[in-house]
Amino acid sequence: MLNSLNQTPFLHGVITIGSFIILMIGLIGVLTKRNLFKIFLSFAIIETSLFLYFIGMHFEVGKTSPIVSSGVKTFSPNMTDPIPQAMILTTIVIGIAVLSLGLSFIINYFKLTNNMRVDEMNELGEAK
Amino acid sequence: MKFSIRSIFISLIVSIMIVLLLQIFLQFDLVTSSAGSFVLNINANSTESANAVTSVVTYFRGFDTLGEVTILFLSIFGISLGLEGYRDKFNIFAYENSLLKIAVDTLFPLIVLFGVYIIIHGHLSPGGGFQGGVIIASAFLLMFLAKSNDFSLKHNILELAESLSGAGFILLGVLSILIINRFLGNFLPLGKIGELFSGGVIPLIYIFVSIKVSAEITSLVEYFIRIKDVK
Repeated sequence: MLNSLNQTPFLHGVITIGSFIILMIGLIGVLTKRNLFKIFLSFAIIETSLFLYFIGMHFEVGKTSPIVSSGVKTFSPNMTDPIPQAMILTTIVIGIAVLSLGLSFIINYFKLTNNMRVDEMNELGEAK
Repeated sequence: MKFSIRSIFISLIVSIMIVLLLQIFLQFDLVTSSAGSFVLNINANSTESANAVTSVVTYFRGFDTLGEVTILFLSIFGISLGLEGYRDKFNIFAYENSLLKIAVDTLFPLIVLFGVYIIIHGHLSPGGGFQGGVIIASAFLLMFLAKSNDFSLKHNILELAESLSGAGFILLGVLSILIINRFLGNFLPLGKIGELFSGGVIPLIYIFVSIKVSAEITSLVEYFIRIKDVK
């Protein structure tokens, strides 16, 4: 019974649905929360779902990781694709950089205005 | 926590949108022959690096990694423009635990050693410059948490390491242009696959990247954990 679950199409379906649930959590957080800090952390959750989807869809049952070790002697087509993993490595670092820059903007905004809520921003002088 | 009508409405719309998208995404098939299989074919002869992900990051897409490190540097630069300097700042949070204060002196070199191990085995096993750099930065985070205001970074050494490693990365690229006429190409002897001294220029690039990443993440941790007028 467990062997029938360990098939590539089934696992791809599980990864797709799971990463879309995480995407949904992040999107709802971005759209409904009013705190700037929570909005930016929701963006980080959305990023996580993209990483999971990108890595997971390039996984196939029976393939090894693209690393030559004591068990695997040579590079062969029986290894997973190394390029998505390298691209996600790049994306994670850029995600950290952009998230930290955004959080520092929020800290500066809070120091200047003593306000961290989106619906109470009034710097451009609009009518309340 | 209270639920307003607005948030319930938005959740409903997002859920419907996601379910509609899922029907498209669940029909995707895997492509059998891709750029990855080509990279796996030529990796053994062109780089002699046991980890194919490392050779993609530092050799086949080395220029891209240079841009990535530049983005990390620019974001830290922007943060340091916005927040004030490092003088007269105090920890906003620390563990007041004497056991941790004594144990951290033993733990700190061990964590740094583990980070160095991850870095110099980046072309043989999972890991590499970014991961090892973040591990070294986590050792500094432990020092900040355990020792509170008694611990201070030597900022001139941090800046020197950060700028020299970035210059070394570009110097490697320029050297390989002069020698073999390709930016960030391999001009060193390749060695044998699976040994520590193999892969030519790949371990050197990862060592430069790791010094840069660890210095930048350490200063990032300091910017976020120390704030003025808090005591």
